[in-house]
Amino acid sequence: MSSEASWTRVVNARIRVLLAKPTQDCHDRGVRYLATKFRDAGFEVIFLNFLLPSEVVNAAVQEDVQVIGISSSSGGHLAVFADVIAGLKEMDGRLLIGGGVIPVEDQQTLQQMGVRAIFGPGASAEEAVAFVKRWATAQAAPNVVVTE
Amino acid sequence: MFVPETLEQSRTQSRAWEEDFRQLAAKLRIEPTQSESHSGLPIKPAYFPHDLEDIPFADIGAPGQYPFTRGNLAAQYQLMNWANQPVIGYGLPEQTRQRMDALAAQGMIGYQGRHFYNLVYDLVSHEGLDPDHPASRGRVGQCGMAVYSVRDMERLFKDLDLTRINVVHITYYQVIPALAQYIAYAERRGVRPVDLRGNSMNWYHQAAYVGMSAFPAHQGLKLAVALVRYCAQHMPRWNTTNFFGYGVEEAGGTAIQEIGLMLAFGIELIRACHSAGIEPEVALERFGFQIAQANDFFEEICKIRALRQIWAKTMHERFGANKPAALQVRIHTHTSGACLTAQQPLVNLIRTTLHAFGAAIAGTQAMEVSSYDEALSIPTEEAATLALRVQQVIQEETNVTRVSDPLAGSYYVEALTAQIAKAAMQVAASIELQGGYISAQQSGFIRREVEGSAARWRDLVQTGARRLVGVNCYTTSTPDPVPIFKVDPEVERLAIERLVELRRTRDTNRFTQAMLRLRDAATDFARRQVDDLRDDQLMLAAIDAARAEATTGEMMGVLKSALGWGAPHEF
Repeated sequence: MSSEASWTRVVNARIRVLLAKPTQDCHDRGVRYLATKFRDAGFEVIFLNFLLPSEVVNAAVQEDVQVIGISSSSGGHLAVFADVIAGLKEMDGRLLIGGGVIPVEDQQTLQQMGVRAIFGPGASAEEAVAFVKRWATAQAAPNVVVTE
Repeated sequence: MFVPETLEQSRTQSRAWEEDFRQLAAKLRIEPTQSESHSGLPIKPAYFPHDLEDIPFADIGAPGQYPFTRGNLAAQYQLMNWANQPVIGYGLPEQTRQRMDALAAQGMIGYQGRHFYNLVYDLVSHEGLDPDHPASRGRVGQCGMAVYSVRDMERLFKDLDLTRINVVHITYYQVIPALAQYIAYAERRGVRPVDLRGNSMNWYHQAAYVGMSAFPAHQGLKLAVALVRYCAQHMPRWNTTNFFGYGVEEAGGTAIQEIGLMLAFGIELIRACHSAGIEPEVALERFGFQIAQANDFFEEICKIRALRQIWAKTMHERFGANKPAALQVRIHTHTSGACLTAQQPLVNLIRTTLHAFGAAIAGTQAMEVSSYDEALSIPTEEAATLALRVQQVIQEETNVTRVSDPLAGSYYVEALTAQIAKAAMQVAASIELQGGYISAQQSGFIRREVEGSAARWRDLVQTGARRLVGVNCYTTSTPDPVPIFKVDPEVERLAIERLVELRRTRDTNRFTQAMLRLRDAATDFARRQVDDLRDDQLMLAAIDAARAEATTGEMMGVLKSALGWGAPHEF
């Protein structure tokens, strides 16, 4: 069996992802496309339009997701990521990624804050899927079983 | 349109052409495939007179004649050029004003020497919040101007003659509070509502395909009707409703979906207006459209021609409208932002020039050309000026404005116009079968259709079947640095400071009374059916609240609790 096929069979169904978009930000075409691609890849996806960052934190905890993706295309991303990171305090091995229109210098700031990857304009959904899979493999979290 | 002899010759010639084409392909060892427009319509490598056989000449007609396929007026640009209407708005009202003045000084002009200002509110206002709300952090003055009260209106319009300018208020669902602020401000300046010119968006219908929080669909429709009704009584020259086709295309919808959905909503809104006692012609005369101009050059042109035709025919045949002004589609072109790329951003100037050129020869009434830095940030002043220059070069240097509808009679353009018109009518018919636009909005049908198109487009880009220069071909590894505009971080602090000052110094009794009146009006409004909207109490109460210096966020708070508010679609 190819490694790709074993992935699909064993691992993907267990990766739970929260994709979140500020409700003020109407540019949701990209993140909603990504949600379908994550689902096609076998991830479980929860999609949230949020007003306050605390809603992202609550959803992440209640839904017990391993991956949180926040899309922002209209500014305000630094405040949102800062609040989400503070709210989750210990990230508990969760992966935090971002996307949308985020200026380069802010990307560096976000990475220092603990955002592991930013998928901006032109990034492919496949890259994001592959990144999450790689992360899950490396993470080898107890609930993620990798078989080759 | 053609005599039988011509059609016969056309068929003979076309057979000869087809054979030539086949031989050429064989020689080059290329298997010809069926070409498609970006909307997915089949297109041929060449068109002939017999391709127009089923199109009655009456569908094409003359510029300024029903069904207006060739343009609204007998003169397209010869007597009155299209208006330059760049979207303006960022930071504090004074900063937006500075940009307004700068662009006006660069020659931005509307009709007959009037200045048009196409002003967008910020994300805080769009969400119906005040700048001191926790969710406003990082969003004050972003993507629009931090204008929340009648005092901010004063900062924005100080010393401008309100009777000599057109103001477009680009709002989302804060339509009524924002217009109320403008009316209350005009009143302070001694200008009556009847003397104001401009547009409200009335964009509740966009909640069918845009993901921001919104009023429930049926309440949104009533709010739209309420504004049409108020304006019919008090502001007959105000353009009440903007059909937001642009948003459909930006969300990923095709050209066909863009105009088909707008026609479907037009039918719904006219029906609702009629049941509220507003004559279709009265409402129709003050409708306008914001339409995208995207990458498929000819399809986007034919889309505009088709929209004019299907709209006029539907409103005439179905609702008995006859006055030309009630049948004409007044278009504000917005060149597509979604087609622009963050990679090699200067290339966007080439794209926007093609978009603007297409809109120009399709016939438009006003234009916003996106700035080349659209995918990166709010436009810099340099980028905004260059975008204006795109319009000015086409208007002044190319001579295309001399002839109305210059592509009329092109076999391809007429055939494609007819194809798009038919396909868009089918979109509208399918919505009608589901009980109308609001039903299709509530069921999520519209959202699913548009998202399906967005996903197909993205998949095509991914596989390389749809080529995007700098994205999936001709890519470079070195970034081209361009200046990035940033809103001054002081804006947020100052906006909050002003809000605190407003609350401290306004007449509290007057404010409280006005807010109670607004609450009562909103509660009453929420309970009524559309055929029972017999007065303008909601709008009048909002104007009174604006007079009492309520903020847009405070008014929206009242409306949200009375009418409901939430995510328009569940995923």
